[in-house]
Amino acid sequence: MLESLQHLATGFGVAMTLQNLFYCLVGTIVGTLVGVLPGLGPIAGIALLIPVTFGLNATSAIIMLAGIYYGAMYGGSTTSILLNVPGETASVITCIDGYRMAQKGQAGKALALCAIGSFVAATFGIFGLAFLAPPLAEAALAFGPPEYFSLMVAAFVVLSNVTGGSFLKSLIMALVGLIIGTIGLDPVTGEGRFAFDSPSLLGGIEFVAVAIGVFGLGEVLTNAGQPAHLLEQKVIFPRLSELYPSLQDLKRSILAMLRGTGIGFGFGLIPGPAPVLATYASYMVERNISSHPEEFGKGAMEGVAGPESANNSACQAAFIPLFSLGIPFAPPTAVLLGALLIHGVTPGPLMITDHPELFWGVIASMYIGNFFLLLLNLPFVAAFASILLIPKKVLLPLVTLFCLIGMYSVNNSMFDVWMMILFGALGFFLRKWAYEGAPLLLALVLGPKMEVAFRQSLMISHGSFDVFINRPISLAFLAATLLFLLIPLALSVRKRLRSALAS
Amino acid sequence: MKQDDIQGAVVFFLFGAITAILSLQMPIGSLRAAGSGLFPLGLGVLLMVLSSAVIVKAFWPAVEEKKEDICAQEEPVSALQVVAYLAIIVATTMLWGTLGYTIVSFLIMLGLLRILGVKQWSLNLTVSLLTAAGSYALFVYALRIPLPKGFLGI
Repeated sequence: MLESLQHLATGFGVAMTLQNLFYCLVGTIVGTLVGVLPGLGPIAGIALLIPVTFGLNATSAIIMLAGIYYGAMYGGSTTSILLNVPGETASVITCIDGYRMAQKGQAGKALALCAIGSFVAATFGIFGLAFLAPPLAEAALAFGPPEYFSLMVAAFVVLSNVTGGSFLKSLIMALVGLIIGTIGLDPVTGEGRFAFDSPSLLGGIEFVAVAIGVFGLGEVLTNAGQPAHLLEQKVIFPRLSELYPSLQDLKRSILAMLRGTGIGFGFGLIPGPAPVLATYASYMVERNISSHPEEFGKGAMEGVAGPESANNSACQAAFIPLFSLGIPFAPPTAVLLGALLIHGVTPGPLMITDHPELFWGVIASMYIGNFFLLLLNLPFVAAFASILLIPKKVLLPLVTLFCLIGMYSVNNSMFDVWMMILFGALGFFLRKWAYEGAPLLLALVLGPKMEVAFRQSLMISHGSFDVFINRPISLAFLAATLLFLLIPLALSVRKRLRSALAS
Repeated sequence: MKQDDIQGAVVFFLFGAITAILSLQMPIGSLRAAGSGLFPLGLGVLLMVLSSAVIVKAFWPAVEEKKEDICAQEEPVSALQVVAYLAIIVATTMLWGTLGYTIVSFLIMLGLLRILGVKQWSLNLTVSLLTAAGSYALFVYALRIPLPKGFLGI
């Protein structure tokens, strides 16, 4: 424990250099903008900014990109409160009471509770990260290919089960992502696959093209098809004088913030869209234990403070599996994994010992970043919100242009731009057909690792699948996977039986 | 909804089938020493099975589910507008090499703004010009990203 605190102090030393403070600030500001802009979430935001980090060292780059992630979470709630439109999916729940508070003239108070809640979550989250990631990384040293394969299977199944859409469709998306991941050179034999003699395809599909395409351009295309009246929105602007909640408000919300922090941290450790699930869970808990549940849905401040703390806490906890196992459990961390690899850092059990300055520096920067968010966003919330005054019909072409330039600048390749456009069209259809893009992106990033682990496992066992069940850790992951497969099936059968009996 | 489910599932079924067929043309090997085609073959077959399940499910009598509306409701999307929007992106991207990034960024803004309902030419031209100039200054001068230059050298 003491050792972790010492490392954390070193991390603060790294994060507080002038250069890293600057990139942390830039990341949180860009993240807030990304969160505020409907149609541009943290995934596309991080992917778009990766080329900008090429000139930086890995630590500064990840500090900035991580800032975009948690900054976007904060920015997303701004639009939920002021506009009743969530900037990204994790802010959907904030619409319920946040917007009602704004309608009652308490927009400033709601925004302040979001910022304070996020800061409280960051304060506890940083210690959770510092104490949990190192032992997990140590445990992961015992993982061999079968354990990694089973863990990735578990991650896909759990993620597919909790994304909110159809489980079957999410599994299909994971398979599509895995297939796309096989394009290019075979990671074991080096043979070309699905490349059709194209040198560009031999290099594989750039994951940034899929991230910007499906999550950026796909969202833009969906918005572009909306009726004209929806392309213009009315914004409720907060007054500066309202931005500071009273002591009584804080007393009423602090427990909700702490509960949200705990819930969010727990969700961040399991595969799935952690911030989304955490906000829902926190809201349900607050509503159920509240002494005045009738206020929920009409502007209860616990309904804003709890979920917003959970949101931020889940973001921080999501870095634990990424840094200690090298396996991202959520799409934004999958993009961060890609960014780490681009910068020559392979996350995993050895990262903490091989790149301590990066690991501890990024953790410390998250705390500093949340402090920046608190300091900047309260006085400047009106400035951020004023971006919403730019009509969507101007904003969408601008975002499109950024997507094109951002994609080109990753490898200076027109092939990647075309891929991004193709995946943008796919992203539009995925929304139309109600498919989730998250499992696709995660599978694309993890696909090659998964295939190597699968093939190595079979080599070890001379072609026997027993290797996955004879090893206890692998068996535990597969048992958890089976449980996640059986639970929805059992619930669905029960629902059908009930409906049949009722009719 | 049902139609969307079937459309999507058919597309993914075909994608799975093509993957499986192409994988069969690669070395499959054995479980002990898997060839490069084994993993994608398995994925392709699995994708076909799951897509078929979605198609079957689409014809299955559904249990009514009540959904709560939390945020502002989404309205139906105009397919024609989306196609036009995408067509502008494709057409202008094809011109990147010839015209260069700056002129293309101006054209792309002009076209997309028009499609999204900015009918006033003066406003449209002003926003497009400012965006082209601003993005050139930001990406080429400030961030030093080597964007494609056209026949005008910009």
